[in-house]
Amino acid sequence: MFPFRRFRVEDESMRPTLAPGDYVLVNRWAYRVRTPARGDLVVVQDPESSERFLVKRVADAPNPREILVKGDNDRVSRDSRAFGPVPLENVIGKVWLRLRR
Amino acid sequence: MSLLHSLARLLDRISPAPIAYAHCDIPCGIYDPHHAQMAAHTVIRMVDLINQLEKPGPGATPEQRQEYMAKLARYVATKEQHAEIAKAEVRILWGDYFKPDHLKTFPDLHDLVWKALKSGSKARQEINVQASEDLLKATNEIASIYWKTKGLETIKVKAPYPTERETVYPKFH
Repeated sequence: MFPFRRFRVEDESMRPTLAPGDYVLVNRWAYRVRTPARGDLVVVQDPESSERFLVKRVADAPNPREILVKGDNDRVSRDSRAFGPVPLENVIGKVWLRLRR
Repeated sequence: MSLLHSLARLLDRISPAPIAYAHCDIPCGIYDPHHAQMAAHTVIRMVDLINQLEKPGPGATPEQRQEYMAKLARYVATKEQHAEIAKAEVRILWGDYFKPDHLKTFPDLHDLVWKALKSGSKARQEINVQASEDLLKATNEIASIYWKTKGLETIKVKAPYPTERETVYPKFH
């Protein structure tokens, strides 16, 4: 499988890092050699709605099997504070490049 | 606008990129179907009280008529207000709590919400025991689905209120 996949960003919770209409290039192989670290920008499968992807920042990695994610615009973000930890198998990959509009 | 961004937009015309949501919500997560059920009970209670109210006969004094009017007005106002509360609470659960994934497991959820809203409107407009009971029934069924999504079993028992209608409660043990 090709490691890079592009996603288009929607919604406001990652401002000022990402805004609606931006693109991100995600490296799906990034976590083959290491686990997500605090501060990484990641795309994950929404634990509340499996067909949807979320772009968030890793707030903590309490153990090797799961991470806590948070939006940079934390007043409005729906994230691990609402839905709890995200299992590592839900992590699509690490944001490798941001394409701002 | 960067060149790479323009390139990504061009690629979207050939094959649209999936969306990654920077999903927003006030992270509250506090929902409970009991508000809707209680409001439905209040509507039933008001209908019962209205029906039990002794209507002033032809020989009633002005004071008796006034008392009747005052009581009726209060019951009707409360009935309408709580029918609206029940509808609002159902809408909150439907719009904010339930997600498309829930619908896969509970495909009749939309229909139940629709029934709750319709019977809520009817119970508000009319003095109608059946409509107010239908409202409670729909909120009970929504409550049962809600608690299942939380991994909790439910029981259906007589409510400890004067209305005494069967009500769905979660089993916490």
